[in-house]
Amino acid sequence: MDSAVETFGLTKSYGSAKAFVKALDGLDLKVRQGEILVLLGPNGSGKTTLLHLLSTVLKPTAGTATVMGYDIVKQSLQVRETVGISFQEPRGFWRHKPYHILSFHAAIYGLSGEERSKVVDQTLKDFDLWPSRNKKFMELSGGQGKRLEVAKLFVHRPSVAIFDEPTAMVDLDGKRMIWDRIRGLREQGSTVIVATNEVREAEYLADRISIMKGGKEVVTEGLRTLKDSITGGDVVEVGVSPAISSEALKAISDVPGTVRITQVSENMLNAFVNRSEDWLPRMMASVQSLDVRITSIRVSEPSLDDVFLHYTGKEVASIHA
Amino acid sequence: MSFELRETFDSVPWTVYFWFFFGFQYFVYGQLVSRLISQLPNYYVYYGTGLLIIMTFNVASWSGRRFVEGAHEGRLRYILSLPIRRGELFLEQLVVGLIANIVRIGPPLVFVLWINGMSPPMMLTSTLVLLSMSVGIMGIMISLSFIAFKSFDIYSAIVASMSAILIRFSTILYPLSFMPSSYASVARFNPLTYGADLLRNVLNIDVSQLLNPGISVVVVAAVGISMLTLGMALVPRTLEGVRSS
Repeated sequence: MDSAVETFGLTKSYGSAKAFVKALDGLDLKVRQGEILVLLGPNGSGKTTLLHLLSTVLKPTAGTATVMGYDIVKQSLQVRETVGISFQEPRGFWRHKPYHILSFHAAIYGLSGEERSKVVDQTLKDFDLWPSRNKKFMELSGGQGKRLEVAKLFVHRPSVAIFDEPTAMVDLDGKRMIWDRIRGLREQGSTVIVATNEVREAEYLADRISIMKGGKEVVTEGLRTLKDSITGGDVVEVGVSPAISSEALKAISDVPGTVRITQVSENMLNAFVNRSEDWLPRMMASVQSLDVRITSIRVSEPSLDDVFLHYTGKEVASIHA
Repeated sequence: MSFELRETFDSVPWTVYFWFFFGFQYFVYGQLVSRLISQLPNYYVYYGTGLLIIMTFNVASWSGRRFVEGAHEGRLRYILSLPIRRGELFLEQLVVGLIANIVRIGPPLVFVLWINGMSPPMMLTSTLVLLSMSVGIMGIMISLSFIAFKSFDIYSAIVASMSAILIRFSTILYPLSFMPSSYASVARFNPLTYGADLLRNVLNIDVSQLLNPGISVVVVAAVGISMLTLGMALVPRTLEGVRSS
């Protein structure tokens, strides 16, 4: 079994004929075993709905999915034994203390006695919750509540771990700590799915990124491949001496992989190219015969924001609004 | 289940409130109002049993409402993601609700029965009647939870209106024979009428004023079972179809 998760035309709609919402629209997606797949998409793109369907909290309107070979509709109990989900908003047993919440969670997944206490104690320490272990859930700060929500999955370490915006409300140190622990979970064999709006989180965690829009998967690839897939995405700033001649400009424009050239000054131009690593040697070769000296080269690759904009028509910054 | 129970009973003020509500109503309002009523002999005892039915309704409504609040607060969503069968989950909620009902209604029930000199078998039978009614009422409240997912305000308004109508158009506070015929014809369709009369039958209070106990047993059992079944059928659909936050 290569795929830990596979969806087949997965669809979820809500509401009446008047206010009909198709949150997920015939999604076909594969998550490979042992990878971290990050779902990136604007609000309303169907990320949370997908996670709730995979954890069997919701039932699909049409289509289905398998998790480690179990059907989410026909074998929902087995799916729940395999999957763990950390929800977007830390909510739940308001009057309980972190120790009891994690202990209950561990008990449900079959941990008992000394082993349970040991795991719970260690998890509380790992997530900086030890000093707050005797506070009630409702007395925790937003960040502490979120860390507790994420920590649940580290008590039973499921085969498929699902995180919905795992570092929302968490401070910078906390974010880095959670990211490292999620990567550690993957290293111990879990398949991880993370839904996020944060580009940094996606870049730090993802083996592959799936960009979603309007309840559909737009593209799923590794970060490098996604960046390379943008036509003219790499920007090469080239400094030359003497001043750029029309002959040199034409030679650079004609280099295969060049999408567009902008002259910045008489000694500087910006080339928008595909795969700068392939383009640069070709460009150097073509200008050599023109007696032009390259004085500086600076390459900037597209950011994940650029990738997101390219595929969804929205800037990542705008989806936080 | 112990985790759920701890969550339920950690809210001590609620339990105290229910006992306070009973004590205040019984000893202050009940005493005063029964002085005004001369047509029904020993109305104070009649009122005491009616108050127990009102409490059962309130506590069972509270349990049903708590279930809905759990869904809103995200508690149920979390439980739905755990490896527990949906049927077990519903039954667990029901058992937690019943235990909450026993804790909150039990002491007032025993007190009323004790000061009226009732025997232990009567106490046991009346407890069973009240618990059967609790199941039906919780079933109704939980079945209505789909409204809460659209609007919690509408749900609260409907539950409050239902409470007002069902309690007033029933024999909880006055027997059927004292009602104007238009009220009585409505009250005959009210399951609380049968529950209240059955409880009084069990306790041998003013039997001449009450509906046939055989019919009352059938109605109370039928309402309990049908509402429970309806709740079990509707709840998973409601929860699993609800929009993600």
